[in-house]
Amino acid sequence: MEALRNALDFSDFPRLDLIVAGCVAIVFIVFPLFPHSSFAMATMIQFLMFSLYGMGWNTIGGYGGQVDLGKAQYVGIGAYTTAVMLIRWDIPFWVSMPIGMFFAVIWSFIIGYPLFRLKGHYFAIATIATSLVLKDIFEVWDFVGAARGLEISPIKYHPPDFLRLIFREDVYYFYVILGFFFLGILYMNWFRKSRLGFQLRSIKDNEDVARSLGINVHWAKVKTYAIATAFVSMVGSFHACYIKSIEPEDTMSLDISILIALMAMLGGAGSLWGPVIGAGILIPIKSYLKEWLGAQAGLVGIDLIIYALIIMAISAFEPRGVWGIVEKIRRRRRD
Amino acid sequence: MAFLEVHNLTKDFGGLRANNDISFSMARGELVSLIGPNGAGKTTLFNCISGLHPVTSGRVIFNGEEITKLNAHQVARRGLARTFQVYAAAGDLNVIENVMVGCFMKTHLRSRARARATEILKDLNIDHLADYLVSELPVAAQKLVTMATAIGSDPRLLMLDEVAAGLNPNEIEGILASIRHVHDDLGITVMLIEHVMELVMKISHRVIVLDYGEKIAEGDPETIAKDPGVIKAYLGERYVREHGGQQAVGSRE
Repeated sequence: MEALRNALDFSDFPRLDLIVAGCVAIVFIVFPLFPHSSFAMATMIQFLMFSLYGMGWNTIGGYGGQVDLGKAQYVGIGAYTTAVMLIRWDIPFWVSMPIGMFFAVIWSFIIGYPLFRLKGHYFAIATIATSLVLKDIFEVWDFVGAARGLEISPIKYHPPDFLRLIFREDVYYFYVILGFFFLGILYMNWFRKSRLGFQLRSIKDNEDVARSLGINVHWAKVKTYAIATAFVSMVGSFHACYIKSIEPEDTMSLDISILIALMAMLGGAGSLWGPVIGAGILIPIKSYLKEWLGAQAGLVGIDLIIYALIIMAISAFEPRGVWGIVEKIRRRRRD
Repeated sequence: MAFLEVHNLTKDFGGLRANNDISFSMARGELVSLIGPNGAGKTTLFNCISGLHPVTSGRVIFNGEEITKLNAHQVARRGLARTFQVYAAAGDLNVIENVMVGCFMKTHLRSRARARATEILKDLNIDHLADYLVSELPVAAQKLVTMATAIGSDPRLLMLDEVAAGLNPNEIEGILASIRHVHDDLGITVMLIEHVMELVMKISHRVIVLDYGEKIAEGDPETIAKDPGVIKAYLGERYVREHGGQQAVGSRE
């Protein structure tokens, strides 16, 4: 009961934030009713997906301060579970999604348990490594289509198919992921006030202090990593139905992992709105650069250069990202 | 039965022996100070007792239970809380949230943790600081916050590592009153590491002195202040020769 109340209670934010958040929510809800290009719709869906990835990352990476650069492996587990189950056994999305989350959580325990003995950079590097290993396995594993990947062909189904999440128009996908997005926000609003949320913030501050306050630091990290994983895998499942064609190279690549972490850091790691702000800034830039400049002007890879510049800017000016700047200004006003 | 017993505790860091064969015990309700020159091994001893460092040999028994091999969080859950000398608050948590982390040891409910934290802040007269970041506060207030956080976990034994270091005489009076309040009114057994002798002499029931990792003296504050071995440890051999060991260590009043 109290958990639900905490999830729905945003009253500790200033009124301005709530007004802005409310307006943004309304814009999202009515956006498809207005004329829009398919490019804009695709960008919106990407934005919502990456916001959710970022929220997942934010639990362990933001609140817990454990820089995780291997989130793509869980995108892959979710996407592949859903795709394989749909193609081979016609198992609908709403069944395969929780199963994918379950697999992802199991995998997260297997690698999280030993990995969280590592600290700082070593942990970050290890997450990259496990993600790449999993990608390599998927590239040679015939059962999941190896390097060719998997293709969900919509012709076999009768869209709109709400059970299997097969639609012809993007607007259906938009509303499904928007629903996930709102649930994600509520979950994160609960998480940041939960016991585990507090414990993680204490761990980020000083692990020895956290330990001496009765916090099992290792277990708290492993648990949170599993939560982050479940988030990412859920959206990965959605990704499979939405994109309909998945291969290891684009679902599980290092780019995705870095983009997820980068967005959350740019927006503000360890804050509720951070990942959303970060995705709101980066996804349009990414889409624009990739689709327009990349394809038309032949500037392939320019998005990577932009990411690099952003990483440098964050670490030099404000490690707590855009939200950190907002909070700093507010603090100055108060004093 | 003793409340805390330390038997022949030895701690090596590589070739360096930081604690050598230290034994002492504490009764419930006591207020004991651990003193000694810099590098005497006081904080190491705290770390060994509270489970942050594995001990090389020896045993620690708390409240009748052997805790030597337990991890720090397990020790904490048995009611032994401690503070740290340097409290590196990265600034993510504000004062009340810090205290809530302590309170969350005993409850899963945020409302209950918050209520308890508010109570503790009021009790230590720092409730007006609740919404500040710890890093924004002066040192004296930071020390009170670390005490409040430890109290949040509802300990039976509270070990304070240099809570008075870097404070001016006024602030020391304040922290002295707070420690007394914690001990007398909240009924928490207290052990201090302290350099500020005025505080040690005024407040302690008993003083334990470490030097070069060994326990060199133990007794009530007056006896310790006159102990030639202790004076030697603090002021050097020559001082003892010249003054005949008559000068009391802490007599700055």
